[in-house]
Amino acid sequence: MTTKPELNLGSHLVPGLAAAALFVVMAATILSASFPEPQGFAEGANVTASIGYAMFNLELGDIPGESFLVGFITIAITLDVALDGAVHLATRDDDGEGSADALLADGGRELKRTLFGGEE
Amino acid sequence: MVPPEYYLLLSAAVFCIGLFGILTRRNALLFLMSVELMLNAANINLVAFSFVWGNVTGQTFGLFTMALAAAEVAVGIGIILVLYRNFDGVDVTDATTMRW
Amino acid sequence: MVGILDFTPAIVLLPFVSFLVALSVGDRLPKGGALAGIAATGGSLALSIGTVLAVAGGETYTATIYTWAEGLDAVDLTFGVLIDPLSAMMLLIVTLVAFLVHVFSLGYMNDEDETGLARYYAGLGLFTASMLGFVVADNLLMAFMFFELVGLCSYLLIGFHFREPGPPSAAKKAFLVTRFGDYFFLVGVVAVFATFGTASFVGSESFPALAEAALRGEASVATFGFAPGTWFTIVGLLILGGVIGKSAQYPLHTWLPDAMEGPTPVSALIHAATMVAAGVYLVARMYGFYAISPTALAIIAFVGGFTALFAATMGLVKREIKQVLAYSTISQYGYMMLALGGGGYVAATFHLMTHAFFKALLFLGAGSVIIAMHHNEDMWDMGGLRSKMPVTYYTFLSGSLALAGIFPFAGFWSKDEVLYETLLHGLDGDPILLAAYAMGLLAVFFTGLYTFRMVFLTFHGEPRSGTAKDPHGVRWNVKFPLAVLGVLAAVAGFVNMVPVADVTGLEIDFLHKWLEHGFEGLTVEHYGTLLHDFPAYGAAGVELSPLLPGAVSLGLALAGAVVAHRLYNVPEPVEHTDRLGGIKTVLYNNYYQDEYQVWIANGLTRPAARVANKFDGGVVDGVVNGVSGVSLFTGDRVRRIQTGVVSNYAVLLTLGLTALILAFGLAGGWFA
Repeated sequence: MTTKPELNLGSHLVPGLAAAALFVVMAATILSASFPEPQGFAEGANVTASIGYAMFNLELGDIPGESFLVGFITIAITLDVALDGAVHLATRDDDGEGSADALLADGGRELKRTLFGGEE
Repeated sequence: MVPPEYYLLLSAAVFCIGLFGILTRRNALLFLMSVELMLNAANINLVAFSFVWGNVTGQTFGLFTMALAAAEVAVGIGIILVLYRNFDGVDVTDATTMRW
Repeated sequence: MVGILDFTPAIVLLPFVSFLVALSVGDRLPKGGALAGIAATGGSLALSIGTVLAVAGGETYTATIYTWAEGLDAVDLTFGVLIDPLSAMMLLIVTLVAFLVHVFSLGYMNDEDETGLARYYAGLGLFTASMLGFVVADNLLMAFMFFELVGLCSYLLIGFHFREPGPPSAAKKAFLVTRFGDYFFLVGVVAVFATFGTASFVGSESFPALAEAALRGEASVATFGFAPGTWFTIVGLLILGGVIGKSAQYPLHTWLPDAMEGPTPVSALIHAATMVAAGVYLVARMYGFYAISPTALAIIAFVGGFTALFAATMGLVKREIKQVLAYSTISQYGYMMLALGGGGYVAATFHLMTHAFFKALLFLGAGSVIIAMHHNEDMWDMGGLRSKMPVTYYTFLSGSLALAGIFPFAGFWSKDEVLYETLLHGLDGDPILLAAYAMGLLAVFFTGLYTFRMVFLTFHGEPRSGTAKDPHGVRWNVKFPLAVLGVLAAVAGFVNMVPVADVTGLEIDFLHKWLEHGFEGLTVEHYGTLLHDFPAYGAAGVELSPLLPGAVSLGLALAGAVVAHRLYNVPEPVEHTDRLGGIKTVLYNNYYQDEYQVWIANGLTRPAARVANKFDGGVVDGVVNGVSGVSLFTGDRVRRIQTGVVSNYAVLLTLGLTALILAFGLAGGWFA
């Protein structure tokens, strides 16, 4: 017997009112502020090429902007570090045989080996 | 030309939806997704202002924030794994040992 | 050119040096520090004689030795010296008696093989230095400090035999009772500073001069809402509290009889001639301040007269020789207070001088008797010592004749002048003075009676115990001071024979003349002017010859002596006072004054102290503990914000951010 999914309403949603309040405040600020006319981009200007040139401190793009070579390199390093960090956090180097986590997370191979290993 | 207020309102709305998720969600993975929403709201804001000033700086910076979001999620997934190991579940309201 | 008066600080410092010597190396000295003490007091005596000769030549001296607190816009606190006729005379008296007592102590303490001699001579040295410092003090605060120091030395010396139960208790009692009076004295000193901005005794800016100017309307001082006359009376009475305590007047007299637990030379020096004189000397020193307040003078006179009679009655029934002398001291200081209150400044200082000599003599004589009787003080165990101790007997007789006021010994002239001055000013229409005079006059009879009772029981008749039959001998160190004082008790009165001067017209009232010169506001004439102007003594111009009152008091003294002769100068005297029955019990128990004071302490002070303690513990500590309690409680509640749930922290962050943006927006006018 299946039941349709129920929207999980309850008292745990009360803190969300804080988010709603923040939205109201931000909306009020935005609507009461005056912005300059958007300048937009020139017709036929190549935006992505400009972005690419900005990344390498080459000023060959149609649309002007700041140069981000240093940021580019830094982000590359950061992504590298993040990948290595995630891999390190994910490895399990503390347990061996008989751990309940290992039992449940390896697709049943260990269990199978324990139960039926002698016969294979 | 779409007036910039609409983009900003959109960005504020997405940010607050993400914030709502952080405040109410109990699952750590959903928590992380809400954080992603907030980062993307900031991105919308950057791009909108890039259009207002006619400058690619905003969009370039938006690319950086995207990369940063990816890095942060990678680390975040790692932390959730450790959380799972120590508290036997991904419920953020269970991990309350650092309290008074 | 350095005059002798520039050496005044040396008079005070020499005994202090002997105190230090006795304290540090006294145990190793052959006589326990006695020789250092004798040398120091001898040196001070020589300097005092030089000072007296210089003052006789008309010199006076005042100097500030040390300023220990200099006020920027407020009072200056200094140590200074003041040498004028009054202080020079007192210096001579104190150093002479101290010197003789030091010599006597060789016989009383050293020859009797007492232990702890270094402590004894150190105490004597410190006492002498403090008393001399008090005498030369030039301002009230310095006088107060030395006043307290002599009280400390009195405590140390009374409690000399501290391993027995009596002396420490007596020492504490002496200290506490005088301290009670000194509390009022301290309040008075502060009041003087607050009112006049100075506590100096001398000069045009001294507080008696300022007070007089304020009352004449020439100056104004802070009087805290009272009329100037009323306020000055109040301040005078506050200072009088310390005087009454130190000079053992009623009601703070209870310590002096118990103080007889100390060694007899200590009793002679401190509780007869010098420390108890400090109170009277203080009033004489600041007489310009008291002379402008009729109420204060009346109170002083009445207290003095009452004490004189009150103590004399108690002296009648005592068994121990030193007790009789203690009550006699209380009574005689009552006479001095009577004189001061009655406007007889010269009479009071005269009696102060003669009393110092004959009372010290009597105490030293009693000490000689006590040595002879192997420290048994009960007079009913004595008798017949006259033939065995002739030097002691004759000097003691000289002192007793002076005490009783028999012509021509010293006490006659001084006591007679006291009563004469009081009567003279009382006849101007002052009933309090007349009442005080009457009490003083009646006390003369009792004085004669108890004095000769003491003499006859001790020296006449048949020996009543084995010790009296074969008394211990005394040496030259006992007899020499007795001889010196015996001569003085006989002849000291001749310095101011007012009745003779009045009758013959000869200018032989030397003491009066001695006190006439000096600093501007501190002479007898000035006091006479003040007494005439303010309490109106002598204003009515009553003329009275000193012969008639003198004859009356002499007659009463002789009557007392004759009664004592009839009752006690028999071979086997009996305790006639038993016939008084219940009165004797009351007198013997000192009118139950000791029990009364203990009752006040237990019944009033202790509950008050308990209430104050509860207030301190409950209210004051309660406030402090309450503050900390509030802090602890809030902390306990506020820390529960840290729930450990990250979502809660995020909620708080969001709310804070919203509030901040809202605040900045409203303040910065974003939403306008």
